[in-house]
Amino acid sequence: MKLLLIEDEQELANSIKTYLTGNSFVCELVDNAKTAIDKISIYDYDCILLDLMLPDGNGFEILKELKRQNKTEGVIIISAKETLETRIEGFNLGADDYLTKPFHLSELFVRIQALIRRKNFKGNNLVAFNEIEIDLLSKTVKVNTKKIDITKKEIDLLLYLIGNENRVLSKSAIAEHLSGDMADMLDNQDFVYAHIKNLKNKLKEACCNDYIKTVYGLGYKWQND
Amino acid sequence: MTKKLLHKTSTVYILFSVILLIVSAPLFYYVTERLYIEETDETLILHKYEFLKYSLPTLTTAEIPNWNKYNRNNKIEPFKNSGNDTIFYNSYYDTLDAETEPYRELNASILIEGYPYTYSARINLVETEDLMKSIAILFLVIISLLLVGLFVITKRLSINLWKPFYKTLSQIEKFEIDKSNQPIFIETNIEEFNRLNKSIEKLIYKNTSIYNTQREFVENAAHELQTPLAVFQAKIDNLIQNSDFTQEQYKMLSSLNDSVSRLNRLNKNLLLLSKMENDIYNEKQTINLNEAIEKHFDFFTEQAKAKNLIIKTEMKESVAVKSNPALAEILISNLFLNAIRHNVNDGQVLVTLSNHSLTFSNTGQSQTLVADKLFIRFSKSNPSEQGNGLGLAIIKKIADLNNWKISYSFANNFHSFSVAF
Repeated sequence: MKLLLIEDEQELANSIKTYLTGNSFVCELVDNAKTAIDKISIYDYDCILLDLMLPDGNGFEILKELKRQNKTEGVIIISAKETLETRIEGFNLGADDYLTKPFHLSELFVRIQALIRRKNFKGNNLVAFNEIEIDLLSKTVKVNTKKIDITKKEIDLLLYLIGNENRVLSKSAIAEHLSGDMADMLDNQDFVYAHIKNLKNKLKEACCNDYIKTVYGLGYKWQND
Repeated sequence: MTKKLLHKTSTVYILFSVILLIVSAPLFYYVTERLYIEETDETLILHKYEFLKYSLPTLTTAEIPNWNKYNRNNKIEPFKNSGNDTIFYNSYYDTLDAETEPYRELNASILIEGYPYTYSARINLVETEDLMKSIAILFLVIISLLLVGLFVITKRLSINLWKPFYKTLSQIEKFEIDKSNQPIFIETNIEEFNRLNKSIEKLIYKNTSIYNTQREFVENAAHELQTPLAVFQAKIDNLIQNSDFTQEQYKMLSSLNDSVSRLNRLNKNLLLLSKMENDIYNEKQTINLNEAIEKHFDFFTEQAKAKNLIIKTEMKESVAVKSNPALAEILISNLFLNAIRHNVNDGQVLVTLSNHSLTFSNTGQSQTLVADKLFIRFSKSNPSEQGNGLGLAIIKKIADLNNWKISYSFANNFHSFSVAF
């Protein structure tokens, strides 16, 4: 998978690149609008990460340019701007997702995966991991081809864990992912433990391998031994 | 007790008029009387000189009865040794009116053909007393009219004069620094009021610009913090991927991670507050509160599970209010999470929704909270508690924006936050 990251904050760009690289992801960095436009005219990407405030122009110009060239790349805006107007304008100009800074890299990663899935597999939304198979449309999970009883939230958690395979996920990152809009008001992460425990038990009951590892003091990790 | 400005001046005027009338009436009467008696006395003395000059030299003792017969008010009487020119009050019986009337009388010793006699001249005081009374009454009437006139004119004039002042006053009363309605002062032709208006205008302008600068500062600061926070967050997310940490280092990372999350939340809430102050959420819609509460009910139930809380609801069906939908959701979530956060284990949360109010009651600490500090930013009632001290300030701000009233009460071990709309 080829990603283009348009971000002028070098430190943030490097961190994103470090997190995303591996697992068949290649990340290219660009720190200004002009080079970005040059790049998108020449190459095709699976996903573009776009910061709106660039030293030589507005990120919206890049969206317009993509439209003008009839490019169908999925675009995720990553911006410090959080007003509804900016969001709406971004979506109207063809962005697929909007992530407000600051965000967890794990969150960005699952959003990229979700976007690529939507773009590439038009409707056939199956995520598979060894003996686990998740159907995103019907919201069902099968372990060894046997359907298991699982809540929507647990599917969400499962996708988040699998998406960030082999990466340590802090409790706060999981809490923020699960609470969505409510995250800004929430200062309690106890519910993460309950969700992880439930998911673990359900997978165990279905004779699934125990992929969820506890990382001491920090959080959890989905690990394929 | 405060009174109106006009009331004060009127009171002074009335008091002055009454005192003036009370004091001036007897004084005036007394002075007029004195003046008149002096006048009468002078007339009497003049009569005496006329008598001495024109009548006495030719008068004989034999003519005295005749003289007395034809002169009613100038008489020659047997010598009474009354000294020279004694003037005094005397009363005579008037046969015409059949009553005793007051007179002013002058007695003087004279010699007629070498014999001593007493010359007596008198003037009736009745008519003059009437005249005097009339003058006094007239005078009093004029004074009264003058005072009443003055009073009325001043009152009318004052109302007109103070009109610009009252206009300015009502403008200032309507002024709110966080709203964009600047007061407009109308130019008057009175210098003092123009000065007043100008200084208030200047004051308001200055304060508004300071307020705006502060507001912008909070917003800009919160905004500018987002990028470094994003870098911070991303670095930690990457850092924790290393697998060779000691337990001690994991602990440190964990606490670092929690602090960044807290900082993020704090910053987002500050941004939310300043956005609300910038009137970004001004467009309102009709919202069904039942739906808004039920929308995230699962989430709240999940949160309540950690403390094993019982959530009870008493909701009237389809309660609709006008608000910005995003803000209404934030209000409900904040109140709900507040009731969960400050609860005790195995406690209760009671959600009551009626047509005019929404109340979240929860068990919690056994003392009542300090109500007047609750809704102020960063004034946490219990510093050891979690939470960033902005939740209730946000709730208050949202209530204010919708003209709702938020109140806190503590009864039967339940802390209640109620929004009246």
